[in-house]
Amino acid sequence: MPDKHLSTQFDSELNAVSTRVMELGGLVESQIRQAIYALSQFSVEVAQQVVEVEVRVNAMEIDIDRELSSIIARRQPTARDLRLLIAISKTTANLERVGDEANKIARMAMSIINSGSARSLPTLDLRVAADLASGLLRKALDAFARLDTAAAVNILKEDDLIDQEFDGFVRKLITYMMEDPRTISSSLDLLFIAKAIERIGDHAKNVAECIIYIVKGADVRHTTMAEVESAVQ
Amino acid sequence: MTTSEMLLQNAALEETRNAKYAARKRVNQIALVLSLAAMAFGVFWLIWILWETIRLGVGGLALSTFTEMTPPPNEEGGIANAIYGSFLMVLLATFVGTPIGIMAGIYLAEYDSKGWLASVTRFVNDILLSAPSIVIGLFVYAVVVSRFKSFSGLAGALALALIVIPVVIRTTENMLQLVPAGLREAAYALGTPKWKVIMRITLKAARSGVVTGILLAVARIAGETAPLLFTALNNQFWTSSLGEPMASLPVTIFKFAMSPYENWQKLAWAGVFLITVAVLGLNILARVLTREKH
Amino acid sequence: MQATMSRPAASPAPRSLAQETAKISVKDLNFYYGKFHALKDINLEIPEKKVTAFIGPSGCGKSTLLRTFNRMFELYPEQRAEGQIMLDGENLLTSKKDVALIRAKVGMVFQKPTPFPMSIYDNITFGVKLFENLNATDMEERVEWALRKAALWNEVKDKLNQSGSGLSGGQQQRLCIARGIAIKPEVLLLDEPCSALDPISTSKIEELITELKTDYTVVIVTHNMQQAARCSDYTAYMYLGDLMEFGATEELFFKPKRKETEDYITGRFG
Repeated sequence: MPDKHLSTQFDSELNAVSTRVMELGGLVESQIRQAIYALSQFSVEVAQQVVEVEVRVNAMEIDIDRELSSIIARRQPTARDLRLLIAISKTTANLERVGDEANKIARMAMSIINSGSARSLPTLDLRVAADLASGLLRKALDAFARLDTAAAVNILKEDDLIDQEFDGFVRKLITYMMEDPRTISSSLDLLFIAKAIERIGDHAKNVAECIIYIVKGADVRHTTMAEVESAVQ
Repeated sequence: MTTSEMLLQNAALEETRNAKYAARKRVNQIALVLSLAAMAFGVFWLIWILWETIRLGVGGLALSTFTEMTPPPNEEGGIANAIYGSFLMVLLATFVGTPIGIMAGIYLAEYDSKGWLASVTRFVNDILLSAPSIVIGLFVYAVVVSRFKSFSGLAGALALALIVIPVVIRTTENMLQLVPAGLREAAYALGTPKWKVIMRITLKAARSGVVTGILLAVARIAGETAPLLFTALNNQFWTSSLGEPMASLPVTIFKFAMSPYENWQKLAWAGVFLITVAVLGLNILARVLTREKH
Repeated sequence: MQATMSRPAASPAPRSLAQETAKISVKDLNFYYGKFHALKDINLEIPEKKVTAFIGPSGCGKSTLLRTFNRMFELYPEQRAEGQIMLDGENLLTSKKDVALIRAKVGMVFQKPTPFPMSIYDNITFGVKLFENLNATDMEERVEWALRKAALWNEVKDKLNQSGSGLSGGQQQRLCIARGIAIKPEVLLLDEPCSALDPISTSKIEELITELKTDYTVVIVTHNMQQAARCSDYTAYMYLGDLMEFGATEELFFKPKRKETEDYITGRFG
């Protein structure tokens, strides 16, 4: 945060909660990476680890929200501080859902691997998309730490790319399923994984929107790109 | 620091504390004893005076004291004319002096309290306040008595008024200044004109203090002798006309007490008793009026 | 049993300053305590029938500004004001009208409750008698009306003849408010009215302020920012004699336009 409050207690409380959010971000990022690795390397053990981390992620979400309530009750924050705390609450919710999506990916991966038909599936495209999505999340968290609105706008644009990738992948899967109907059940699993990755991109976008809210006080959800850019000027 | 060192340090601290406390206690007790002694000394004299006054004064009181005139030596009589004369002159002096004093006090406190006229007035007032009353008496003698070639009750009342005025001015100004500024501002904020703020709010708020000031002034002039010596003089006989010399309690007491005649001396004590009772009563009344109301 | 739940009334959308009619217009106001320049080129419009709050650190001039609106500074010779304060098309500072008539329109309640040394009834009628000739019945009605408006009637209706100083602090302050309302002013100035009161009395008076604005234009000076945030429609932030920012309270406390304002309200400096 740029300037210091008169109350150093307040400063340290804000810093503590911001740090926790970054920790949570790091944790779910690692979940995504591990889930995709499990799928591409056909490793059930790694997938299992992702599921176990989920418990920690949920606990952190609850902790952060409790800290937020405590700060709001005691400090009656206004202006920038108020927007920051509201944004942290939303960001935490988004990150927890990213964790859920990573969890889903891991479970799907286990199901695919156990069904035995994994090696013949077009998982490469998924890996690419997943890297994009987790990269986008990393950028969003970086931008959040620096409160960089320019980076936030770029993130909003990049999410469109992920959505396009997703559409492309769906078309590919359809072709695949039409060629060999025995692969339908595994393909559907892949479809769910793809959807999960697309959602991760959306959550990264939400975090970027929060950044703009904190810095500019403008709520840019459900608006067009042009409106976003004018809000950031 | 180890625990044993801390314990030692605490114990040493405890010791010095106790020693210092004991020393302070001793000093406290000595001071207490000394102040009690001083108080007893003062109270002792007061009680003795009151006792003598009552003893000697009550003995001389009878109905005749209030109904008969001052007698020639060795004859029975009373001090009715002196009582009446004092009463009349004090009343007149109060009626004349109080309004002047209050109005001047209002001027000093509420109008132009920092101006040059106010400073001069305060300065002159302070001088008058501490002027010896005999000087005031002589002044009135020079200006009134020798002009009109006659001693008179009026001149006596005038001299007393000149003593009342500075006292009332001083207490009125002080009491008005004690009224918090917030009260006045609240009245002005309603759109109240200045004179109304003073009369209905400020003066009312200072009411008990101002009345006390008046009562104390009255108590003072009730016992003043010197100003009356050259102005009202004295009168053996009854008179209700202010244009003539008039008897008064202080002057009568002065004359009778110094005389060798026993009946006069008894009457003098009766007069002393009456004045004391009056002054005491006024002081108590003043206290009652200024007591804290819930 | 009602089949449908009635919808709670939605709070009206905040209006912008431009949409309000100005009750008091301050133009290029400068104020001096002797040589000290206390208010510097203040330009401000107080919206009609709304609550406007002045906030700022100690010594910023908010009370000074408030006291120019009813010319209270005239009680002290070394204080003077230059500029324009327009009320109903007339400049208060240069008006030839008797200042008492201005104060009949612009009432003030102070920080310390100051009941007059008289009965509660007389306290209320004191101001009314200055400006109106009411018969006994009308006067009683007026007293009841003023005390009801100040949320004090039920507590004092059986002891109207008792002295005002027998009331508690919060009641005394409400008495002062009733006294101010009784003369039916158009503007009510409140100078830190709750500073000397406990939290419950403070809440009652804040409740009162919200109701008063249906009939009066209210300007309140407070050093308690949360109070300004709770009670007012518009807030002005002042610092060292300058008007730093003035706008709708919701906006000022959510997204202030100036960094100085944000620093003050988030506690980044005293």
